[in-house]
Amino acid sequence: MHVVIIGNSAAGLSALESFRKENKDAKVTLISKEGGLAYSRVLLPYYLRGKADYDNFFIREKKYYEDMDVDYIEETVECVDDKKKVVSLENGGQITYDKLLIATGSRAVSPPIPGLDAEGVYNMWTLKDAESLEKYFEKGKRVMVLGSGFVSLQAAWAALFKGLEVTIVELVSRIMPNVLDDKGAELLSNSIRELGADLRVNTMTEKIEKLEDGSFRVYTKGNEPFEVDFIVVGTGVRANIALVNGTDIKTDRGILVDEFMETSVKDIYSAGDVAQGPTTFGDKNVIHALWPTAIEMGKVAGNNLAGKPFPYEGSLNMNTTQMFELTVSSMGRFNEGEGDRVEVLDGSVFGGKGYIKLVFENDKVIGATAVGSTNIVPLLGKLRPLIRKKTVIDVPVEKLGAYLHLQIAKSNPRNIMKSIKSL
Amino acid sequence: MFIVTMDPTKCVGCRNCEYACSYNRAGTCSSEESNIQVNFYPDENACIPMTCMHCEEAYCLSVCPAGAISRNEETGAVIINENLCVGCKMCMLACPYGNIHFDSAKQVSRKCNLCDTDEPNCVKHCIAGALNFEEVEEYDGNRKGCDGIIMRALKEGGEK
Repeated sequence: MHVVIIGNSAAGLSALESFRKENKDAKVTLISKEGGLAYSRVLLPYYLRGKADYDNFFIREKKYYEDMDVDYIEETVECVDDKKKVVSLENGGQITYDKLLIATGSRAVSPPIPGLDAEGVYNMWTLKDAESLEKYFEKGKRVMVLGSGFVSLQAAWAALFKGLEVTIVELVSRIMPNVLDDKGAELLSNSIRELGADLRVNTMTEKIEKLEDGSFRVYTKGNEPFEVDFIVVGTGVRANIALVNGTDIKTDRGILVDEFMETSVKDIYSAGDVAQGPTTFGDKNVIHALWPTAIEMGKVAGNNLAGKPFPYEGSLNMNTTQMFELTVSSMGRFNEGEGDRVEVLDGSVFGGKGYIKLVFENDKVIGATAVGSTNIVPLLGKLRPLIRKKTVIDVPVEKLGAYLHLQIAKSNPRNIMKSIKSL
Repeated sequence: MFIVTMDPTKCVGCRNCEYACSYNRAGTCSSEESNIQVNFYPDENACIPMTCMHCEEAYCLSVCPAGAISRNEETGAVIINENLCVGCKMCMLACPYGNIHFDSAKQVSRKCNLCDTDEPNCVKHCIAGALNFEEVEEYDGNRKGCDGIIMRALKEGGEK
């Protein structure tokens, strides 16, 4: 059997490792567009902030690929022929497969604003982006961050941390809709402004003009133009699905997969940011494009590629980071209206500081968000299995701390870990 | 492998384990610096010590985006390499037991590493016999007593 994995990041490697646990003999080929050792894009803002060294990016050593007994090809896949079971490379090469995993990830996309294609405008998504941005991250430089999602704000925080002048421009009325509720967004916005970044919401960027000295003049609707030295665009990502054009593989925004990470074509699997799969809440096809989800999907795919039926219990979105001197975290469904009961708590209830919100539906916790001190993050961690298992919580929320410890003490953790293998 | 087992029915809440861990790790006797935490619920009259169980399938290890968490092949302990950790806190969000903490001075995650010895400091200084360094297969004897006590206490507390 020949297994071909396209993609050398979280999902592809997690699949490779899970596959090799089950099957040491089959031939495996790993194809990477970017080439080189696998790196973690999650570390980009930490690198720019000076918290991680360049070497830290690389999360696998050369020896790893040897140990995994994998043929490693540094090439771009042009297309997949699902009838002939062949993968065509840009260099003209062809690779036949028995089973295929598409873990091609996603790419950063920019809005159609005139002038955004100039040099000095970057995304914060690839190692190359990090290399390009690094030289700009010095005290006194002026940066515009376009967008205010998780990635953009991490870029903004790294810049502010390094002493840059930071202007964040967001089209809609609030920041971080995928990670924070309204109140959490307000708290973070306050902190961003208090620390000296210029956060402009409800602001439409009309055009960018490149000036002779290499800097930029930014025109926003209804405001005076302003000048910056460089621009970071963080306005979302799109799944890399072009390689399956012309196949019978069903796609939407990403490649549609079932609970086994199999696509609509037998023997072709997909995982990670490119895959649109089930969630823990019963949605059939959602892209969460998160590192933990990619790891989990990869594990599911790897087992199934090895012929071991292994269903995914569904992605549970989870995010956390420290930025602008606050720790922000969330998981599951944390917005009003997504459940039938909302409990807002002060972090001091759990020995911390800050704002915590829990959302319940039929007395089952379905999500939570927190903005404040670091020591409230473990609370969300402890809630995660309960969200997954749809556990009814029949104690008052102020008893939650004791209740969660009871849940843990009640079960033999080794058995817990064994019974929820698809974690 | 051997791990630190915890028996809430024996724990008296003296916090010696926390101080021993903190002193060994950070040179101070502070609960906040400890990787083992005694969770004291006065209303419930319950003390629940909590430290890493070094899960067989450690979720913290698999989701760490920095590749900073690994298993010590010798002791079986799940350990954090603080030179690789960037402080993103994903492991804290991943641990279902709340056993990963944050070192605010170094801005990295921290957790129990079993002290790399055959007698972790918390166990050595436990005065009540609540903490033991035991083979993992024997780990579930703690279960019943703890259940009974906390459940009863929670119920009483809840009805107040």
